[in-house]
Amino acid sequence: MQAQEDVEPTVRIREVKKDRVNFVLGNVDLAFANSLRRVMMADIPTVAIDMVEIETNTTVLPDEFIAHRLGMIPLVSANCDEAIRYTRDCICLAGCSFCSMMLELKVACDDDNTMEVTSAHLEVVPFPEEEGSQDPGEELSKRGEWFGHPVGKNDPNVPPVLITKIRKGQELKIRCIAKKAAKEHAKFSPCSAISFEYDPYNKLRHTTWWYETNVEDEWPLSENAKEEEAPRDDEPFDFNAKPNKFYFEVETDGSLGPQEVVMKVRLRPACCS
Amino acid sequence: MPDGSRRSKPPTSFNTIEREKSFRNPPKDGSTYNILNEFVTPHIESFNALFDDSGLPAGDGDGRGLLSLALKDIGERVVFDGNERTDSESGPQGWGNRMRVWIDQATIARPMVPDKDRTAIERKVYPAEARERLTSYRGRMTIKICWTDISGQQHDMMKDCGLVPIMVRSVRCNLRSMSSADLVRHHEEPEEFGGYFVINGNERLIRYLILPRRNHVIALIRPSFSNRGPSYTPYAVQIRCVRPDQTSVTNTLHYLQNGSAMLRFTWRKQEYVIPIMLVLKALVGASDKEIFEGIMMHDYENTFLSDRVELLLRSFKMFTMHTGQQCLEYLGDKFRVILNLPEDWSNAAQGTWLLNKLVLVHVESARDKFRMLLFMLRKLYSTVSGENCADNPDSPQHQEVLLPGSLYGMIIKERMEEILNNIRGSISSDVRNGVAVDFNDKRYFTKVLSKVNFDIGAKLANFLATGNLVSPTGLDLQQASGFTIIAEKLNWQRYISHFRCIHRGAFFAELKTTTVRKLLPEAWGFLCPVHTPDGTPCGLLNHLSRTCRIVTSPLSVAHIPVLLAAHGMTQPFAPSVDGRKNVCVQLDGRIIGWARPKVAAELATYLRICKTEGKMDVPVDLEIGLVPESHGGQYPGLYLFSTKARMMRPVKYLANNCDDQVGPFEQVYMDIACTAEEIESNSSHVEHDPTNFLSILANLTPFSDFNQSPRNIYQCQMGKQTMGTPSTALQHRTDNKLYRLQTGQSPVVRPALHNTYAMDSFPNGTNAIVAVISYTGYDMEDAMILNKSAHERGFAYGTVYKSTTVDLKDMKGASKSSTPTLHFGVGKDVPNTEEKMHPCFEFIDLDGLPFIGARLNAGDIMAAYVDDTTGRTKFVKYKGDETAYIDQVRLLGSDAGDSELQKIHLTLRITRAPVIGDKFSSRHGQKGVCSQKWPAIDMPFSESGMQPDIIINPHAFPSRMTIGMLVESMAGKAGSMHGLAQDATPFKFTEEDTAINYFGEQLVASGYNYYGNEPMYSGITGQEFAADIYLGVVYYQRLRHMVLDKFQVRTTGPVDPVTRQPVKGRKRAGGIRFGEMERDALIAHGTSFLLQDRLMNCSDYSTAWVCRTCGSLISLGYEDVSLGEMVVGNTGSLKPTGPGGEYCRVCRAAAEHQEELERQAMATGQQLQRPQADVMVAISSQNVLKRASKGGELDVVAVPYIFRYLCAELASMGIAVSLEVR
Repeated sequence: MQAQEDVEPTVRIREVKKDRVNFVLGNVDLAFANSLRRVMMADIPTVAIDMVEIETNTTVLPDEFIAHRLGMIPLVSANCDEAIRYTRDCICLAGCSFCSMMLELKVACDDDNTMEVTSAHLEVVPFPEEEGSQDPGEELSKRGEWFGHPVGKNDPNVPPVLITKIRKGQELKIRCIAKKAAKEHAKFSPCSAISFEYDPYNKLRHTTWWYETNVEDEWPLSENAKEEEAPRDDEPFDFNAKPNKFYFEVETDGSLGPQEVVMKVRLRPACCS
Repeated sequence: MPDGSRRSKPPTSFNTIEREKSFRNPPKDGSTYNILNEFVTPHIESFNALFDDSGLPAGDGDGRGLLSLALKDIGERVVFDGNERTDSESGPQGWGNRMRVWIDQATIARPMVPDKDRTAIERKVYPAEARERLTSYRGRMTIKICWTDISGQQHDMMKDCGLVPIMVRSVRCNLRSMSSADLVRHHEEPEEFGGYFVINGNERLIRYLILPRRNHVIALIRPSFSNRGPSYTPYAVQIRCVRPDQTSVTNTLHYLQNGSAMLRFTWRKQEYVIPIMLVLKALVGASDKEIFEGIMMHDYENTFLSDRVELLLRSFKMFTMHTGQQCLEYLGDKFRVILNLPEDWSNAAQGTWLLNKLVLVHVESARDKFRMLLFMLRKLYSTVSGENCADNPDSPQHQEVLLPGSLYGMIIKERMEEILNNIRGSISSDVRNGVAVDFNDKRYFTKVLSKVNFDIGAKLANFLATGNLVSPTGLDLQQASGFTIIAEKLNWQRYISHFRCIHRGAFFAELKTTTVRKLLPEAWGFLCPVHTPDGTPCGLLNHLSRTCRIVTSPLSVAHIPVLLAAHGMTQPFAPSVDGRKNVCVQLDGRIIGWARPKVAAELATYLRICKTEGKMDVPVDLEIGLVPESHGGQYPGLYLFSTKARMMRPVKYLANNCDDQVGPFEQVYMDIACTAEEIESNSSHVEHDPTNFLSILANLTPFSDFNQSPRNIYQCQMGKQTMGTPSTALQHRTDNKLYRLQTGQSPVVRPALHNTYAMDSFPNGTNAIVAVISYTGYDMEDAMILNKSAHERGFAYGTVYKSTTVDLKDMKGASKSSTPTLHFGVGKDVPNTEEKMHPCFEFIDLDGLPFIGARLNAGDIMAAYVDDTTGRTKFVKYKGDETAYIDQVRLLGSDAGDSELQKIHLTLRITRAPVIGDKFSSRHGQKGVCSQKWPAIDMPFSESGMQPDIIINPHAFPSRMTIGMLVESMAGKAGSMHGLAQDATPFKFTEEDTAINYFGEQLVASGYNYYGNEPMYSGITGQEFAADIYLGVVYYQRLRHMVLDKFQVRTTGPVDPVTRQPVKGRKRAGGIRFGEMERDALIAHGTSFLLQDRLMNCSDYSTAWVCRTCGSLISLGYEDVSLGEMVVGNTGSLKPTGPGGEYCRVCRAAAEHQEELERQAMATGQQLQRPQADVMVAISSQNVLKRASKGGELDVVAVPYIFRYLCAELASMGIAVSLEVR
C-alpha cells in the first residue's frame, strides 16, 4: 500500500454554481470527509430570524405559525464571522446592532384581490441605537450591502418566499430580530442537502448490493462511477484498501454561497497537523 | 403496467391548480363534489319524506308526506260529557254528548328569527348561526286541532308545538339546494352536505339502524320460544309489517306442540297472543273448509300437513265460535279494556279495529290479510317438517335500514297521538270528577288544551341530544337509547364515515354469542368487510359499501300484478291452486298470485329485463327475489320488494349489458362476477368496479390488496383518529375540541377515489421520506425516529382548538330574574392607572373580554365581570394546564337579540408540535410512537444527500405483512421523482403484471435501484452500511393521541384525606396505582429501596409516636410542661414524660391502675397480671427515627399512615395493636 501520509489532500472542483458546488475530495480518510459533511451541515453559522414581535396579525394564520415561517426564510449571511457577533459573546443586554439585525414586515391589504405576503416585504431597519453603546465594534463595516436581507430580495429572477396570503382588511405588522447561530435550529443550516459518495463500484465491499436476478440491471451506477476505474471481473478483493476519494455536492439555501460554506470549515486532516 | 395495457388512464396529476381555483371561487351552480350530496341522500330524503312538499316522486300514493299519513292513521278520539240527554247522538247508551277530536294537519316551518325581534332584516336562520351561538337549528311546528260540539259542528284551532330540530340541507332547511358559493357565503364549507341536526351547537345525526326486512315472512327456530309457555315449540314465522307512515308492527306466528299456532303482537309494550284460528275466522268469516283448503292447497297426500291442519281446526272447536262475527265480538270484548276506543263502539267494531291496526298492517283488505296468514301457516308447517330451513335474521338478506327521517316521523306521530290521548283523558277525568264540562263552550276546550303538553319540539330536541327514545309504545324497536351520535369533525374521514355507518342494534351488543357479529357472504357489496371497529362494537357497527344506496323514494308498482298476470301468473283468487306445483308470488308482503317455478323464473327474468331497460314502467329499484325450489333450503317463491329503506347497489346485468340495481335478498341467488375477466357461463351480473364492496375509507387505503386484512381494518380506525384538517370554515366552528394539522399535504400515492371524495380539500397527513432500518435502537418495538431538522422545519406540526364558554347565568350571584346583576367588564375597584396596573390587563380589556392572541397559562385571567350587588369585579380563570392562546371570542346573545350580553364563547388555541411520545401511523395500520428526535447530522443519508424524516424498524414488516406499505414507499419515491400522482387503487395489478415491476421500472428510469433500495451511509461515521436500505416516500398520519394529553407522573402531590395515600386520576394530578402484582415484581427483583420509595416515601409516609412499654401507636398524650420535667400526679408519684411533654396515656393509666391495684394487693395479697394486646407487630429498629432520650417511654417511628389508621379503626372495634420495637 502506498503511504497515504505522504500525499497531500486534494480538492477538485467539478462544478460551481450560484447555489451549489460539486467537488471531489481526495487523499483524506473517511472520518475527515464525513466531518467535513457534518460541519457544513450543522456548524456554519448564519443569520436567521430568531425573535418575532407581533403587533398586529389579522391574517388567517396564527401568530406562532407566521413566526415559524419567518424563521425559515434564508437571510444573506455572507461573511458572518466578522459581520456579526453571537449574542452570547456581545456585551449588550438583549441585542444590539452588533449582534442582531432588525427586520420589519408591515403589510396591509386594501385591495379586492388576495395579496401575497412574501419575504420581499421584509425590510431591514436599523437597530434602535441604545444610549452610550461604548463598544466600538468593526462588525458594521464588514457587512455587505445586502447582509441580513432575505435571499433573493435584490434579484428579480428569484421568486420571493411566500409567508401568507391576506385579503382586504387584513394586516400584518411584525418586527423581527435576526441573530447569528449555527446548531440550535435547522433554520441556521446553510445547506439544503449534501450528497456524499465514495467507492461507486463498491470495490471496498462496505455495502452489499442486494439483488433479485441481476446486479447490473437492478443497480444503476451513479454518475461518479465515471471517475473511477471499473473493477475487472478477476480483480482480487483488496481488504486493506480504504476509501480516499469522496464525491461531494453541496447545495445551499442561498444564505451563504457554496464556496463560503465549504471554505469556512476549519478542519485539519491528521496529516497536516 | 409499463405498457399501459389494462390500466385505464391513471390519474397522474395532482390537479393543484384546479383545486386552488375551485377553492377560491367555489362553483356558483352546484357543488364542488356532487358525490358527497349523493351519499347522504338517505338521511336527507328520508327527512324530506315527512312533508307533503318533499320533492320525492309520488309512487303509488298521493305524494303526501309521512306526517299527513300519520295523521290519517291516528284518526280521531271520542269523548262523552256524561249528560244523558235523550236527544244526543249516543242517547240510548247513556254516554252523553259525543265529541270527536282529531288533528287535521301538522306543519313545520323553516327556521326563522322569532317575531319578537323586530330589527333583523334577514329573517332566515342559517345553521352556522345555531352552531356558533350554541343553540339548536329548528323550525316552528304547528298543528290544527279539530273538534265537534254537541250539534256536530266542526271547530278548529291552530296550536303551537314548539321548535322542532330541522335537518341541515333538508327541504325545511334554509341551505336547501344552495351552491357551493352560496354555502361559503353562509359560513359553511363548500363541501357541506348536511344530513345532521344542530343541537346546542353540536352536530348530531340519527345513525342508521338495521331492522328486519319489512313485509317479508321469515322462519325462525329459536330454542327460547319454547319457554314462552306450555306447549310452545322453537318454531315460528315472523313478519315485520310496515304501514305507509313507516311505523311498524311485528306479528309472530308460533307453532304449538298440538299442531295449532298462536299469533303474537305487541300493543303498548305489552305482548298478546291469540289463536290463529280466531284471527282467520274473524278476518273473513272463513269456514273450516276454506281454511283447510287454503292451507292444504291440494297437497292431500302430505299427511304431516293434513294432520296438523286437522288439529288446528279441531283445537278451535273448544271456543264454540262459528261465524266471523262471533269471533270479532269475542276479540272486541277481550281487548276493549286496553284499546281505549270510543265507549260507544260495539265489540265487533273494536275487534275489526284491532285486526286493522295490529294484524298484518301492511295490507289493507281483510282478504289479503287472510291469504297472507295462510301463507305464513304454510311456511310455518313447512319449517316444522324440515322441508325448508330457518331464515337467518342476521343476514342482510333479511334486513333493511331504519332511516333517520322515518324514525323522526314515528316519534312525531307518537307525540301527536299522545296529545289527542291526553286531551281525551283530560276531558274524561273532568267528567269523572264532576267538573262542569260543556262541549259547546270554546273556552272550556281551550282550558283543556292548556293542560296538555304540546311541546313536541322539546321532546324531539331531547331525543336528538341524548339519543334516548321516550316512548309509550316502543315503536316496535328493540332498543330505547343510542339512536343518535355526534358527527365529530375530527377530520374529514371520520366525519364522512358517520353518515355511512350502520348499527346492528344496542340489543345485540349485550349478546354473549358472536354470531351476530359474523361477516356473512350475503353482505358483499352492501356492508364493508374492512371498515368495522375492532373491540366491543366489532361487527355490530358496520359501514355501508361505497356504492350501496338506500332506497328512499316510493316506487310505483301498482301495475306489476297485472303485468305478471298477463305473463302467466295465476291470480290469487283462483279457486284451486296446487301448492305442490306452484310457488307464491308476493309484492311487498301481499300475495299477488301463484306460478309454477319455471314460470316464476321466467317472470323474474322478464321483470329484470324490463327494469334494466326501463320498459313497462318497472322501476329499476324493484327487488326481484326469486327463491328457487330446493330441499331444505329457503322457502321458495317470487318475492318482489318495492318499499323504502332497502339497500340496493348498482351492477351490470349481463343479459342486456344494462345497469341494474340489486338488493341483498336477490343477490344471494345471483352470480355476480367481480371483474369482466371473471365472467363465466352462469354469471348473471358483473361489478362495475371490483373495489365497490369497500367502504369509502377502506377504498382510500392505498394498495390495500397487498396488505394482510387486519391491517386494513386498523387503518380504517386510524384514518379516523388522524389529526388532519377538520374543516375549512374553522372561523365558524365551536366544536369542543378540534385537531388541526398545519402542514397537511396531498399524498403522492393515492387511490382514484381520493379526488372523488374531496380528500384533497381536507389533507390528512404528510409525505415523509421513510427509511426502513434498525438504527440506534430507538426504533425498537414500533417506535420511530424523527429527524430533528424535519421537526424544526414544521413536520407534522399540529394545533388543538378547545372551546370554553363563560356564562354569567351559571355564576355565583346571578339573579334568577330577567334583569341580570352580573355584567361583563372590569369595575372601578380594579386599578388600571399607569403606576398601578392590575395584572389582568395583560389578558383582558376594560370590557372584561380577553384580547385575541393573548397567551394564557394555567390560572391566568380570561374574562372579568362585575357584580351589581357587591360592586366587585370577579375574574374567570383559565383552568387548563397547557399554554393556550385566545383564538376567537364570540359574544352570544339570546334568540330574539333583546337581552344583555351574558355568555361568551372562547376558542383557545393550543400548539402541539410533535414531541417524543406522540403517535404516528402510515396508511397501512402501522402505527408507532416517536421515540427520539435525532439530529440531522447523525441521521443516515443516501448518496444524493437525502435524509429520512422518519426511521422505522424492519421488524415492523415480517409478522404484519403490510406489503402495501412497501409498495407505497416505492410508488411514492417514483412519483416524487417523476412528478406523478401515483394511482394506488387496489386490484389493478395482477400476477403477470406486478406493482413491483411497474414501479421498479420507474425507479430505474430515475436512477434508483429497481427495488427501491439505496446504499446509505452512517451519519456518525460516514461509512456505508453493510446492507442497502429501503428508502422511499410514505404518507404519514399524525394520530390525535398525544403524550401531552396522557402523561401522568408525580412524586408527591394531592393525597386522600382519610388514608393520606395518593389520589387517583390524571385530572387531579394523582398517581397510577402501584398494586400488589407490581409490588411482587419489585420484591422478586430485590429492589427493596425502590419498593420503600414507592410504597412508603412517595405514598403515605408518616411518623408516629409509639410507646416502648405497651407498643401502642395511638396512645400519645401531651403534658403541657417544659423540657424533661416530671409531673407529680394526684397520687403523689412521678409521671414520666418525654422532652415535649409527651407520654403514653395507656401506660400512665395502667401505671395508675397498677398502683391502685398494688395498694389493694398489698391489702389483700393477690397476684398481678398485665393485660395482653390482641395483635403484636414487630417493627424494625431501622424505622425508629428518634429515641426519646431524656426520659419518657415514647419513640418516634416511621410507619405508613394507613397503618396508624388501621390501628385506630381496630381500636374502635376493641382490638389493640401492639408494636414491639426491636
